[in-house]
Amino acid sequence: MSKSSRPISLIPKEYVSVTDLTPITALGAQTARQETFGALAITENADLGIASLALRKGQEAPMVFGLTLPDVGKISGTDGTSAFWTGAGQWMIMSVGQGTSDFAKAVKDEAPACSVTEQTDGFVAFELTSDAETLERLMTKLVNLPASAFSAGCATRTGLEHMTVFLVRPAETTLTVIGMRTFADALWHALSTAAKRLET
Amino acid sequence: MTRLTGGLIDRSKPLHFTFNGQGYKGYAGDTLASALLANGVQLMGRSFKYHRPRGVFSAGSEEPNALVTLRDGARSEPNTRATVTELYDGLTAKSQNHIGPLDRDLLALNDRLAPFFAAGFYYKTFMWPRAFWEKLYEPAIRKAAGLGELSMLPDPDAYDKGFLHCDVLIVGAGAAGLSAALTAGRAGAKVILADEDFQVGGRLLAESDLLDEAPASDWVNRTLAELDSLPNVRIMPRTTVFGTYDHGIYGAVEKVADHLPVPGNHVRQTLWRITAKSCVLAAGAIERHIPFADNDRPGIMLSGATRAYANRWAAAPVKSPSDPVAIFTNGDDGHRTALDLIAKGAPVLGVIDTREDAPKFGDYQLFSGSTVTGSKGRLGLTSIQITRNGQSSWHDVGALAVGGGWNPNVHLSSHHRGRPVWDDTLLAFVPSPNGPKGMHPAGAAAGQGGTQASLTDGMRAALAALTEIGVMGAEITLPKAENRPSAQEAYWHVPGKKRAWVDFQNDVTVKDIALSHKENMRSVEHLKRWTTLGMATDQGKTSNISALAVMAELSGATIPETGTTIFRPPYTGVSLAVLGGGDTGKHFRPTRLTPTHHWAESQGAEFVEVGAWMRAQYFPQDGETHWRQSVDREVKAVRSSVGLCDVTTLGKIDVQGADAGEFLNRVYANMMGTLKVGMVRYGLMLREDGHLYDDGTCARLSEEHYVVTTTTANAGPVYRNMEFAHQCLWPELDVQLISTTDAWAQIAVAGPKSRELLSRIVDDFDISNEAFPFMACSELTICKGLRARLFRISFSGELAYEIAVPARYGHALMERLIEQGRDLGATPYGTEALAVLRIEKGHAAGAELNGQTTAAMLGLGKMVSAKKDSIGAVMSRREGLAKDTRRLVGLKPVNGAMQVRAGSHLFTKGTEQNLSTDQGWVTSSCYSPHVGGYIALGYLVNGDTRQGEIISAANPLERQEFDVEVVSAHFVDPEGVRLRD
Repeated sequence: MSKSSRPISLIPKEYVSVTDLTPITALGAQTARQETFGALAITENADLGIASLALRKGQEAPMVFGLTLPDVGKISGTDGTSAFWTGAGQWMIMSVGQGTSDFAKAVKDEAPACSVTEQTDGFVAFELTSDAETLERLMTKLVNLPASAFSAGCATRTGLEHMTVFLVRPAETTLTVIGMRTFADALWHALSTAAKRLET
Repeated sequence: MTRLTGGLIDRSKPLHFTFNGQGYKGYAGDTLASALLANGVQLMGRSFKYHRPRGVFSAGSEEPNALVTLRDGARSEPNTRATVTELYDGLTAKSQNHIGPLDRDLLALNDRLAPFFAAGFYYKTFMWPRAFWEKLYEPAIRKAAGLGELSMLPDPDAYDKGFLHCDVLIVGAGAAGLSAALTAGRAGAKVILADEDFQVGGRLLAESDLLDEAPASDWVNRTLAELDSLPNVRIMPRTTVFGTYDHGIYGAVEKVADHLPVPGNHVRQTLWRITAKSCVLAAGAIERHIPFADNDRPGIMLSGATRAYANRWAAAPVKSPSDPVAIFTNGDDGHRTALDLIAKGAPVLGVIDTREDAPKFGDYQLFSGSTVTGSKGRLGLTSIQITRNGQSSWHDVGALAVGGGWNPNVHLSSHHRGRPVWDDTLLAFVPSPNGPKGMHPAGAAAGQGGTQASLTDGMRAALAALTEIGVMGAEITLPKAENRPSAQEAYWHVPGKKRAWVDFQNDVTVKDIALSHKENMRSVEHLKRWTTLGMATDQGKTSNISALAVMAELSGATIPETGTTIFRPPYTGVSLAVLGGGDTGKHFRPTRLTPTHHWAESQGAEFVEVGAWMRAQYFPQDGETHWRQSVDREVKAVRSSVGLCDVTTLGKIDVQGADAGEFLNRVYANMMGTLKVGMVRYGLMLREDGHLYDDGTCARLSEEHYVVTTTTANAGPVYRNMEFAHQCLWPELDVQLISTTDAWAQIAVAGPKSRELLSRIVDDFDISNEAFPFMACSELTICKGLRARLFRISFSGELAYEIAVPARYGHALMERLIEQGRDLGATPYGTEALAVLRIEKGHAAGAELNGQTTAAMLGLGKMVSAKKDSIGAVMSRREGLAKDTRRLVGLKPVNGAMQVRAGSHLFTKGTEQNLSTDQGWVTSSCYSPHVGGYIALGYLVNGDTRQGEIISAANPLERQEFDVEVVSAHFVDPEGVRLRD
């Protein structure tokens, strides 16, 4: 994993929205939801900028914000800005604190020859934090993956309660579940129900 | 009490329970069956068809007789096997399938009528009069037959599901399973050891065999302790692996809280999907019985079960401790039961062995070359008839243990059509060598039933499994077991004229099989269906092989020549609740909420499910008592001022790349490559067979960037098909696709005042008709800096736009538009009004694009471009489609008050109505506030030339038929002036 990502503060200020409309979170609230279930916390990351990047035909993968775009099933970057593989020549680029900026434009500036698409509001991101054993116990109830093999630095797309999600594990103690924004309520229900059951 | 000494029950933990209201005492470690037997209770239920008294027959999940209704109220669970019900304090159980007290069942009359209930009696008896079947026969049979009854109350408990992955799944934790687990566990493989029992050990717990000259339970406990200490081993008691599925997947149910009075905070059961690289099938074996006359009385049970009750549960299967037990067998195994009972101090009448040269292993009476030919005892066994060389004598007994050999548990190995193979030495079917990939049968399940053989075979199977998956394993030191003789002879049933039961649960006798043979139902499949043998909830675990043997004898063929049956999942019954995965009610499946959902909720909207989406259907206002009032008002608002509708659900696919235009040319029937930047075009997609597939708009945001919209229903499939086309058909094209449906909140702003409303929120953007004409699109900012996309497109036929903003702003944008448009009469509208508006305009939707229609039928045949090739274009020109003259028309009932229903068929007035005269059908209909009456759209033969004709619309389902006038499909603004204004 590369840890040499450039600070996202380099994104131009004019890319930040200055509308007088007030956004809401994917769960329909003014503020991000957080709930603790014993040793496990689930936090909605409502301020995550996301953009998809796809290589044009014959292109080499560029560096984006200093990140080497990762290989199959992997993530690169840890704090702030990161990327994970989604398909052949395709990645999601994410940056914390960029939920209301035109993050796709910033990514396009980084990789002008690539196809970049705004995805910030296409998804909802829930960060699950706990010890590794608890996270893996939770995963056994949610996704059909060998939990112990899905270690830090892994990312994949899988099914969860009939929904399609990205699972990203930036650290042993963190699992980010990225689901379709319009399924946010259903996804929260699935995650929180499983989390509650771990307590019993 | 008939409690014996010893056993593995915990006498320091007494448990109290009731059966049919009578209180009893058992101990921790008991099953309901063992506790009842220990209390001298033999009678536990009534048989399915004849209502014969029945008692416990086995000591495991194969039990056909001792089925009870457990618990009360909403937790009442019928058909629970007492033999696998772990006893808990406060357990309540009731017998089932009787009218009146269990010992005086009024429906026992059925037994007197047995001659009428022979094999196939359903098919022979309830033929006439035909009408009686539904109203009389079936209800009466259902009332009389069946076993327990459902509570009809919602299940109050929670269920769960999960996924496990391992290197080696070991099914069964007996001698073979434990040695396999030790072997694989010590090798470092990730192991799951699952057993349906609450106490791990399998037959090691049921037999008196010593391991290393100590009780087998000592080794079991040591082994469990070691396995428990290995982080790579997961031990799962109370877990039944019920099915083998594709790709090394096994289904299992863990009974998490079934042994508790109430689950409390626990889920009751968990459904596990286990993905295993390899599997050791160590599921053991099930003993078979030897059918003889009247062999179904309480007190008659399997020989191995009798040993299990004596050794593990310290219970004798008799009413009184002084009642002797007899053993009827065809092999050495039955003699072990006599020895174990004697060792426990239980009186034994003797062993009745079918073999002339039967050996004697201890101090008991041996009836060699003898059979049991009859039994007596109204509610429980009191005496048996022993016959040798035609000489019979009656003997008083309290119980009879019957052992006819053991059948390997091949079930899971046959779930992939692995047909079991007959082993003439073992006199049993063993798992096919061509069973499920990666499965290694071991121990008794593989026909290696002796304790030492099982231990060794478990290790062998584990090593084979490890080798297969590339894990280095090593032999382990196994305990030394006693060597037990196991000779037997092929003896399958005692011939006789009286009824001898083969399948206890479905009340099938040897006579039924003979009748089936006589009536030429001789294949195993026919035999099963004619007699219902093996088709009860136990899947014939104790009857199938015996039935085959009887059929073989009747037909003069060998057993393998006669056939075998393979088993389907589940191995034992699985509750629908746990299969459902736990979520019920509104959480049964996930739903998608639009960006304005919460706003719509606050406005009192009624919602409708559209696939996974919840969409606002209409917004009732004070004083509106019928949905039509709300919808009419919303439609009128759009036609007269401005309406707002969340259309986020339409699929949005971002298409980029140097070849994006060419790609879209090939995907769409019409030309897209020529679309100018900043413009939108309506597009049609065809299926490969030339029929219409989907429609929508395509916007060109820049030279190499398009946004495709799809219908709500086809958002996923269109994206999938485009990916297929990109990856498989034309990988040479430089094009990148990704869905952005959820990313953008999209709101339709429709009506003559839509431009004025939008002008109040756009930032320095000219939306005049000249600057932003019909079918224009642009990226812009609104509300002081928010990036947005604006499309001038219209589904309603009015001047209209769709504006898209990042989804998190959708809610606020809707509020802003309502606020800014208050003086303009801005009105939210839902899917009902949306549908009315499009029908009035003659725009197609799902009802018109139903998979059977063509572009020509919509009147859009010319959109299928002849200048290029595209998916479905060639096939759309084939004769069968090109000659279809049906065309989309508007329809107005001659009597405007009549509502023509979608689905009605159209006929030329005055003609006979049948398939050959069918002229088309009605696709959509609604009440049109604009027209002031009901209107409809439909496809009609030569519809484009029949305007003004009066035809018949017939709907036999609704018993409707009335006259409709063929009119233009465009009830509103047929010239299309409004949307271009």
